[in-house]
Amino acid sequence: MVAAALLTGAAALACAQERTAPRTPDGQPDMQGMYTRNGVVGLEAQPPVNPIDPSGRNPRSVSDRGDGLGPYPKVFGEGGTVLRGGQRRQQRRVGIVDPEDKKLPWRPEEDAKRREFLLKMNPAVDLKHVELNARCALPGLFQGEDNNNPYQFLQRAGSVVILYDYNHTSRVIHLDGRPHLGSNIRLFMGDSIGHWEGSTLVVDTTNFNDRTAYSREIPYLSDALHTVERFTIADANSIDYEVTIEDSKLFTKPWKVAGYFTRVPKGTESLEFACAEGSQTLLNMFGKPPDR
Amino acid sequence: MTALRAAVAKPSRNKPAISCNRACMRPSWCAAVVWAVSVLPAGAQPSEKASTAPRLIAGRPDLNGIWQALNTAAWDIEDHVGQLGVPPGLGVVEGNELPYQPWAAKKREENAAQRKTSDPAESDCFLPGVPHATYLPYPFEIVQTPARMAIRYEFAHALRTIPLDGSPHPDGLPDAWMGDSRGHWEGATLVVDVRNLDERTWFDQAGNFHSDALHVVERYSLTDSDHMLYEATVEDPKVFTRPWKMRMPLYRLVDPKATLLEYECVFYLQEQRYKNAPFH
Repeated sequence: MVAAALLTGAAALACAQERTAPRTPDGQPDMQGMYTRNGVVGLEAQPPVNPIDPSGRNPRSVSDRGDGLGPYPKVFGEGGTVLRGGQRRQQRRVGIVDPEDKKLPWRPEEDAKRREFLLKMNPAVDLKHVELNARCALPGLFQGEDNNNPYQFLQRAGSVVILYDYNHTSRVIHLDGRPHLGSNIRLFMGDSIGHWEGSTLVVDTTNFNDRTAYSREIPYLSDALHTVERFTIADANSIDYEVTIEDSKLFTKPWKVAGYFTRVPKGTESLEFACAEGSQTLLNMFGKPPDR
Repeated sequence: MTALRAAVAKPSRNKPAISCNRACMRPSWCAAVVWAVSVLPAGAQPSEKASTAPRLIAGRPDLNGIWQALNTAAWDIEDHVGQLGVPPGLGVVEGNELPYQPWAAKKREENAAQRKTSDPAESDCFLPGVPHATYLPYPFEIVQTPARMAIRYEFAHALRTIPLDGSPHPDGLPDAWMGDSRGHWEGATLVVDVRNLDERTWFDQAGNFHSDALHVVERYSLTDSDHMLYEATVEDPKVFTRPWKMRMPLYRLVDPKATLLEYECVFYLQEQRYKNAPFH
């Protein structure tokens, strides 16, 4: 009897130690907190020469933070070393991970169109060819300007909510089994329906508009975009991330991208990223519009 | 969140706390032990949806959901008659008059005269600030967890995060269009203290304005499961002769399909203004 009790006790202890991951009050694996994200945006094999910032010093480049606009350059500069994470884990798959050779399955005519489009982006010949980030557009799933812009995960019954510092973006991932929105609703951030598989949050997103950029080299995806993300709680401080990107208008088959989230130091504050309010980009590029 | 993390045993160096990616495979007896320990919901709710008992999160009223004001404060927070494009409405300001200092009353009239080009939210789609974001004619969504809240606004995807951890407003940050918010509960009322508000926002489209000394204290309290009372005490010694208060009911969007969409007016304005760009 005593032996049995001891055995049960030991087993219960061992069991408790194995299952140490916390849960939210409604039973979801708890991934809440603030994280930096790394690795999601990567280069394909034989990328087009990046005409947006070929030397890295192009004064017309929209990424040049040395333009002295507002407090952002100072804050960004200070925040970078604090927030950059990811040193702990050694093995990382990042960027385009499928296909392994990074040769994306472009429809040849769409790849050609994309390369043509890029040539008109710097300087931008018209509004349509302005990089979406430069327009303060919502970033879709990929363009969160991850250095210096952490993500917060909140969980409540029926949904996971992701808050981005970048352009004060937010996404609600519905876990209540509702259907996707009708096909006439088109969103920068799409419509996300998710469910948990063990410690992995699987998120199916549709209803994108045709204004999602993956990267500088892939400046638009189409409204046929459909993504499946997998957020896997790897340990108390890390989430592994993988997304399958399906866009039948542009690619002949889906491809996959990987990255990871790393918890930030305690006490890190979220900062406002007021994009449009400080932006002079279109004014600088094109001059003053007639009605202003 | 801190309490939860402290309770978690430190993962071993070689084996992460969760050792599998798919449905965790453990002996069934383990599942039974773990379930009993770890999946007790705080403020446990019965499973029936028709319960009239108030929903709680960590012992506080659950404000999660999509809400909207149903008034005309976005056009003018004081009493106003109708005009083309402006619905008439009664003011939401207690005492029905804003206590402007004399110079500020003049400045408000100047703003009103130039509103077509000077209203930061209406003419440029800039972030509306607080409390203006609450009574825009667009829904907003309260996201509530025990330690932290957020409010997502459909207008210009404005966003506020509201820590409930007792942390102070940080020193030395630049002002923010949506300010810096810190929340705490007083009984069943959520109290949010907002400072660091950028001076460039207006309270409405009628030119009512403030300075960088603005300090707002909001109070959100459920009056029943689908209605809230919203009160905001506004203090700005550079512009007003005394603090003043606004109050209004907020209405839950009860349609189960209700969801925030995107009102990306910056993008729409760019499409309109830069349609024939470049201009040089």
